[in-house]
Amino acid sequence: MNDSQDILEIKNLFYSVEQKQILNDINFTVQNGEFLSILGPSGCGKTTILRLLIGLLQPDSGQIIKNGQDITFTHPSKRGMGIVFQNYALFENMTAFENIEYALKLNPKFKARSKDIVNELLIQMNLMEHADKKPVNLSGGQQQRVAIARTLAINPDIILFDEPMSALDVETRLVLRKELKDLQHKYKNTMIYITHDQEEAFAMSDRIMVMSEGKIHQIDTPENLITHPADDYVKQFVVHNLRVKMDSLLKHLGGMYEK
Amino acid sequence: MKSKLNWIQVVLGCFFLFAVIGPLLTMFLTIDIPHLTAIFSNKAFKAATYNSVVYSGISAVLSIVLGGTAAWCLTRSRVKFKSFFILILTIPMLIPSISHGTGLVILLGANGILTNLLGLKLPLYGGLGIILGSIMYSLPVAFLMFYDILKYEDALPYDMAEILGVNKLRQFKDLTLPYLYKPLISIIFAIFTLIVTDYGVPLTIGGHVKTLPVMMYEDVIGLLDFVKGSVIGTFLLLPAVVAFVIDLLNKGNANASYVRTPFRLNKSFARECFSYLYLGLITIIVLLPLVTFAFLSFVKKYPMDLSFTTYHIHRLIEMEGLVYLGNSFIIAISVAVIGTLGAFVTAYLSARIQTKTSYFLHLMTITSLAIPGLVLGLSYVLFFNGTLIYGTLAMLILVNIVHFFASPYLIMYNTLNKVNRNLEDIGMILGISRFNLITHVIIPQVAPSLKEMAVYLFVNSMMTISAVSFLSNVATKPIALMITQFEAIMMLECTAVVSLIILGVNIVVRTIALRN
Repeated sequence: MNDSQDILEIKNLFYSVEQKQILNDINFTVQNGEFLSILGPSGCGKTTILRLLIGLLQPDSGQIIKNGQDITFTHPSKRGMGIVFQNYALFENMTAFENIEYALKLNPKFKARSKDIVNELLIQMNLMEHADKKPVNLSGGQQQRVAIARTLAINPDIILFDEPMSALDVETRLVLRKELKDLQHKYKNTMIYITHDQEEAFAMSDRIMVMSEGKIHQIDTPENLITHPADDYVKQFVVHNLRVKMDSLLKHLGGMYEK
Repeated sequence: MKSKLNWIQVVLGCFFLFAVIGPLLTMFLTIDIPHLTAIFSNKAFKAATYNSVVYSGISAVLSIVLGGTAAWCLTRSRVKFKSFFILILTIPMLIPSISHGTGLVILLGANGILTNLLGLKLPLYGGLGIILGSIMYSLPVAFLMFYDILKYEDALPYDMAEILGVNKLRQFKDLTLPYLYKPLISIIFAIFTLIVTDYGVPLTIGGHVKTLPVMMYEDVIGLLDFVKGSVIGTFLLLPAVVAFVIDLLNKGNANASYVRTPFRLNKSFARECFSYLYLGLITIIVLLPLVTFAFLSFVKKYPMDLSFTTYHIHRLIEMEGLVYLGNSFIIAISVAVIGTLGAFVTAYLSARIQTKTSYFLHLMTITSLAIPGLVLGLSYVLFFNGTLIYGTLAMLILVNIVHFFASPYLIMYNTLNKVNRNLEDIGMILGISRFNLITHVIIPQVAPSLKEMAVYLFVNSMMTISAVSFLSNVATKPIALMITQFEAIMMLECTAVVSLIILGVNIVVRTIALRN
């Protein structure tokens, strides 16, 4: 049954490469304005889900429904979605400003207002002073902001993130986590975020989808994952690993206070 | 969309199959068993095979040792002016192989400058001349191949070996040799093939010592014996095909690691002294023939009359030199433009559109690497004879594009493989067409490689004497072939002028195009 709040509904999605089953009967929904993290180890199929959602891959079978419309085979640019890749895929020969503006200039819908949109986004993303810099002269965090701004420029309902913070240092990650949540509150976008980092998923998400080997183990709120893990895998991969991290942290903090 | 591109890949792959394999098959089909047995039992053929293998083998080994040592000096010592040495060492790549032969004749021939100056009496015409000329011709290539390999070697294992107290000899045996093993095999075959398939050096300086390419050249040009030419051509394909296959097999593991620690070299007086001396000596040896070209071009008659003259230039003009220079420009510019565009499109299709046919296209494109120019030229004569294109400049443009296509293609293929893999995805999501993405994003990113490709095609088309030698006529002859013509009538001063013109044009083009 489709909840009226659901912006996205994934039904019985199967995907294989040659003989290997990558995704096995994937079903889930995403609510409007929700921040959903897809959490799992490398090779579990989480990036494949993202590429299917955006339309860069097509499933063997199953349906992707957005706002009640079947978009399984719709062209990626017509899905109302944007994506931020792990390596950002910025246009190296263009400045930050031009990176954000380029797609707008080619789109009759945005062309007339392109400069205004870019300037607004540059202010919003604290990038104004870096507008004329090329990607090679931007830090990792700044590059990511440009990539997000470029995605926001086309005004998507849903933004997908493919492990965008894995190459950043801890401090930048913490800053960007907050900025991302602030952005979501401002623009009311639905965000689907891929990560293999439990702590990151717990810090940012409204709900977390835990995956392994092409299957979903549990989709739930962070609290429920801890209090009611669906199976041993969730218990081990999520709860146990987080506990180990927390214990280690508390031990060090305790030591500091004792000193 | 992808299936359409898939089809383009197949069509392009088939084009290369047609452009390379088609003419070759025609050449094979001209061979019959009686001719084959007659040629194989021919004494002159046996002698030429022996000469080719022995002299090319010796030249290749010496060239590799000399080029390898120069590369070592420039990558493992703290000598200054490295860019200058690299520039000088690669200059001989800008003149035809035949110029290296004439350069040696001018320097060390019976009446050569060094012969007269130092009172030398070298038996230059024959095996020694072939060896020396072939070294001069192949040294820059051997040097560049070694330089690229040594430049990208990781210093970390050596740092670890130092920490563990492993001595230098053991480091060389256990680290350097295993690292060099595979590339060295590729270099040996590549240099041997380069020398064994060249006719320019042995034609000028071989005297009575004939090699297979010279025999093939004389049989086809002088006697119009296409069957014998085809047999020798097929024979010459063997080392080239072996070199190609070995290189293909070796490449699989070549780029296993992208992360490398650069060498931090301590000062070493002995090493630096040796490097300066060695590089200085090599530089002089490389520059000497080029200087003599300049000298000989403007003296009346060496050694009798050393007064300044522009007579040889006028002579060249009288003999339609400007027309042939014009032909060379038309050919070189057309090859550079069409070849660069074609190589970019092909490389884009095989490197960026991952389908089942990508590898087919890639393989078909690099097949021309296995075909020596002389063999390609003869096969084109047999394949295109009687067609509209035969005997036109378009024929020479086509054969040069096919002959030189693989190298610029590989430059672009490797460059495009390093460009962010997600760009096309982002373009698709943001509604940017593939054409816009290529012209506005990808081409600006790969522009330096495009320039490099165009220069490679231009320079090689200006100086080639191999594939074009059988296909050109009085109206379409490129200027490089005038060297063969002048050499045959012993007009050494005019060969020097032509070599100098080709060198000058190539240096100017390379400098202007790659100045940034």
